[in-house]
Amino acid sequence: MSDKQDEKLDAMLRARRVESASSDLAQRIILMAQSLPQNQTLPLMPWLRQLFAEFHLPKPAYVVVSVLVLGIIVGFSTPDRTASKDEESASVQSFLDADEVPL
Amino acid sequence: MAAGWPDKDDQELLALIQEGSHQAFAELVQRHTERFYRLAYRYVQNRETAEDLVQDAFVRLWENPATWRPDRNSKFTTWFFRIVVNLCLDWQKKKRPMPLDEDMPLADERESADEAMIRIQEQRLLEKEIAALPERQRTALNLCFDEGLSNQEAAEAMGLNLKALQSLIMRAKTTLKERMKAYL
Repeated sequence: MSDKQDEKLDAMLRARRVESASSDLAQRIILMAQSLPQNQTLPLMPWLRQLFAEFHLPKPAYVVVSVLVLGIIVGFSTPDRTASKDEESASVQSFLDADEVPL
Repeated sequence: MAAGWPDKDDQELLALIQEGSHQAFAELVQRHTERFYRLAYRYVQNRETAEDLVQDAFVRLWENPATWRPDRNSKFTTWFFRIVVNLCLDWQKKKRPMPLDEDMPLADERESADEAMIRIQEQRLLEKEIAALPERQRTALNLCFDEGLSNQEAAEAMGLNLKALQSLIMRAKTTLKERMKAYL
């Protein structure tokens, strides 16, 4: 009995009526889209990928830029010894000068 | 329409739509409008409303083509079924359910008047009872019985695993069997 009920219900579910759509429905949708602009907002990741693609440079250029940046960083971070040498020579000179004072 | 468009699969057409191709959009619309209309009709039981909802879904796709993500969505139809279902459910939340068409045509002209009347009553009651089912049970039935999706495809469209979908269908059928007892 239950099997028969199942079969009948399945048959009824498959036989549900649908009124036909207008024959020009697809055409109406297409025409409407033709008058509308697209919103080209990209999600974050594709947008980032596209951004990097825009600034794509050949590998040697990246190497040159990296070396220059590294050089600048090393240059700025190395302590300047010139001033201390001057101070050193000045103090030696004053010592020598002190020796020449007449007794 | 240019030769070769019907040979392109949905994913190729969507990639072209993302580049602004009206021809690709036209091909996709002609290919799938009918089946999405049928699905929408199951929910709203009214031709004009179903047509409006399908039109709305396709226009949204045209306006925001980037919503289709080939890396995330496995199949266009599965993804778009979900969009149409969501639009239908939104519509139902905003509107009161429409009464079923009183002038429902006979399913088979060879039937006698009595048989036809019984069939019409059956169909009306079935639609009424389906409309009264919980949303997810109704969607499971619509996708599996009416759209001919496999259980796996329907599960994907609903974002469920296979067992959960089968359970929804079983619960829906149990409820319908109980409520349609007089006709079964």
